[in-house]
Amino acid sequence: MLKTIVIRVALGLLTLWAVSILIFGATEILPGDVASAVLGQGATPETLAVFRHELGLDRPSYVRYLEWFFNALHGDLGVAMTNKRVIVETIAPRLANTLFLAGYAALIAVPTSVVLGIVAAINEGKFIDRFVNIISLMTISVPEFFIAYVLILYLAVQFEVFPSLSTVFPEMDFAEKIYTAALPAFTLTMLVMAHMLRMTRTSVLSIMSQPYIEMAFLKGLTRSQVIVRHALPNAAAPIISVIALNLAYLIVGVVVIEVVFVYPGIGQFMVDGVAKRDLPVVQACGLIFAGAFVGLNTVADVLAIMVNPRLRHPR
Amino acid sequence: MRGATKKGIAVEEYNKLKHMFDKGALSRRDFMAGVAMIGAGMAVAPTLLSGTAQAATPKVGGNFIIGMEGGSATDSLDPRTYSDSVMIGASLAVYNCMVEFDSNGNPTGELLESWEAKPGAKEWIFNVRKGVKFSNGKTLDADDIIYSIGIHTGETKSPAKGILKQITEIKKINANQIQMTLEGGNADFPVILGDYHLVVVPNGFTDWQKPIGTGGYTLEKFEPGVGLKFKRRGDYWKAGRANFETVEIRNIQDVAARTAALQSGQVHAVNRLDPRTVNLLMKDKKINVVRTKGTGNRFCFVSRVTDAPFDNKDLRTALKYGIDRQKIIDQVYSGFATPGNDHTLDAGNPFYNTELPQRKYDPDKAAFHFKKAGLGNAKIELQASEGAWGSAVDCAQLYQESLKKAGINLDVKKVSADGYWDNVWLKVPFCAVYWGRRLSADQTFSQVYSSASDWNDSNWKRPEFDKLITEARAELDQKKRKEMYWKAQEMISDDGGMICFAITDYLDGYAKNVMGNEPHARYDLNDERLAEKAWFA
Repeated sequence: MLKTIVIRVALGLLTLWAVSILIFGATEILPGDVASAVLGQGATPETLAVFRHELGLDRPSYVRYLEWFFNALHGDLGVAMTNKRVIVETIAPRLANTLFLAGYAALIAVPTSVVLGIVAAINEGKFIDRFVNIISLMTISVPEFFIAYVLILYLAVQFEVFPSLSTVFPEMDFAEKIYTAALPAFTLTMLVMAHMLRMTRTSVLSIMSQPYIEMAFLKGLTRSQVIVRHALPNAAAPIISVIALNLAYLIVGVVVIEVVFVYPGIGQFMVDGVAKRDLPVVQACGLIFAGAFVGLNTVADVLAIMVNPRLRHPR
Repeated sequence: MRGATKKGIAVEEYNKLKHMFDKGALSRRDFMAGVAMIGAGMAVAPTLLSGTAQAATPKVGGNFIIGMEGGSATDSLDPRTYSDSVMIGASLAVYNCMVEFDSNGNPTGELLESWEAKPGAKEWIFNVRKGVKFSNGKTLDADDIIYSIGIHTGETKSPAKGILKQITEIKKINANQIQMTLEGGNADFPVILGDYHLVVVPNGFTDWQKPIGTGGYTLEKFEPGVGLKFKRRGDYWKAGRANFETVEIRNIQDVAARTAALQSGQVHAVNRLDPRTVNLLMKDKKINVVRTKGTGNRFCFVSRVTDAPFDNKDLRTALKYGIDRQKIIDQVYSGFATPGNDHTLDAGNPFYNTELPQRKYDPDKAAFHFKKAGLGNAKIELQASEGAWGSAVDCAQLYQESLKKAGINLDVKKVSADGYWDNVWLKVPFCAVYWGRRLSADQTFSQVYSSASDWNDSNWKRPEFDKLITEARAELDQKKRKEMYWKAQEMISDDGGMICFAITDYLDGYAKNVMGNEPHARYDLNDERLAEKAWFA
């Protein structure tokens, strides 16, 4: 089992390296160049040339890739082209904010959806099963900004329970942050729950037709005992990977939520970087997103290997 | 009997106007003009108006929060990098400009207190304001001004570099006087020095993360793309300005989020309200909407007059008559824009030609000129994109519809937003372009229409026009200059390749207790100087 895990982690690192090349290549072929994007419609050719030289854009791209890659290995993501700030310093608080919001939403969403999924599986076809299914389908079927605006309209503008501006600042204490970020966390919870809930339900139910489950019933166990003791451990792998996928989404895919709630996360940071063609910023964000994605998936695979009874006790 | 009815109507009309004024849909000037037209209301107007007019003396105190669009994670307080509202507003809280503008758009002294031109407008003497202190205690003098101009010249990417090129020599006469010599006469030179990039920092200053200025506030905190916080200095040299204890600017890119934040009282002022929903917002009793008419972005479809078939003047005229300006304004901008007259000078400019007839939609005239152009059934291709401006494609489609009624086939080609200004603008024969406000009439004409300009996007080059604006530039007699600029507008509107169909209004929203928020002839948020001009009632 250890060998499997090591191979999995090595593959993850290899993927990350390949992604780094892709990110660099993709930013190279973005249409337009950083100089004209930063200086805008009114730049003269000579100011453009001065600026390009200042940024080192007149050197070959492989030189710039190698330099960037080795610096990134040392934790140096460079300096933003546009405002000359050190990227690691500006990105760190934003990444922390993103992780805070993702963690906040995940702490509500993951337990709720797994428990509800199991409850739905136990009560397959009954009212509670249908009810949970319909509600979760509804929340996943509307666009994310719609849920966000509905929550803002009722909970912020009409009843003023929570703030509509969820900008968190470093100097806020924990409770204040929890209160301020409540609306985006609720919105994200609604968005990711359906997927996890339905996956839990389906994979538990698909295990239910296996011979060993029948055996467990024949032993005289109740339905809930069978599900929790025998079905769930075997159904865990797909559930874990769906959870990982949704966690990754919470980190990398929430730009719209950030914009609507004015939450200072990393998504808007990257969008600003792209709009201004600030290549080092875009590359840094890309690398962090890829790291989150690959990392979470690797963790999910490793966990899946560890919880699977058959892989745990190889014969 | 008849008199009574008439008076009744007048009162009703007056109430409507007053309502619109209260809601900010009317500027004070429009309101007074409207009242004058009714006639009957004239005598009561001043007393009734005082209820909504600004209280006379500003009060000090409070934490003022402005929610703004127009910022980015790439922002910096280096004036050479400014390009959008958040940094302009932030800059004017910390720094001062050389020249300020009154609400009619005329230049008034700021750190350059006064000035005088020698005949020919080539040599200028500027008097530096005395007794102004920077936030580090240093007293302002001529060297600071010279340094602050100098950072925008030479090896720099400053957007102000172009407008300062005309200065051939800056000479310090004494600690409070500067002489500047220009390559040619420019009667509007003080207006040029009012550019928002030209803020004043102490001589030799370079640490843009910790700005030092002569403004009413000092910077407390700056997170690019998130917001800024300022603290009142308390010894501001402008009496009655900079009245808040602290000011915060928050970046709120999403218009719905800005509106919700204003409605729920989390911010006290916002810029760029959504014209589609602003009528609903005006019903909110806690909110004032202030409209700055027709000084925003100028939306145009620009043809290159050197490319066939646009080298045909009749076709250009047909295209100008064939656009239904009012319909586009009503449908796309919900009425919150002013029709353009095929040149980019706005009515807020003192040299705007008020007697040039506004071109209106006339399918018959369009058809007539199109026939005269002799192009048969030729299809005209127009390239548009969200990269030009958000609703460019919508405008182009309405244009297509209105041209169809004149029997002209327009083919609207939607192109990629990415790289639009690199790949489409100045390159294709007919495309959507927006222009921002320029500082002066001269700058407008010489940047957009002169033969020498790199951005003459219609490629309309007329020696007699170049001569006219060069002469007008050096003319110190305002009356003569006005005649020349009126003529220039006429020439562009008649012959140019630009269909400038709308100039947007600015729509600001304020909490009811925010004073000092009147519309300005230049920008929104009271010329982006809300931090120093506003106060809490």
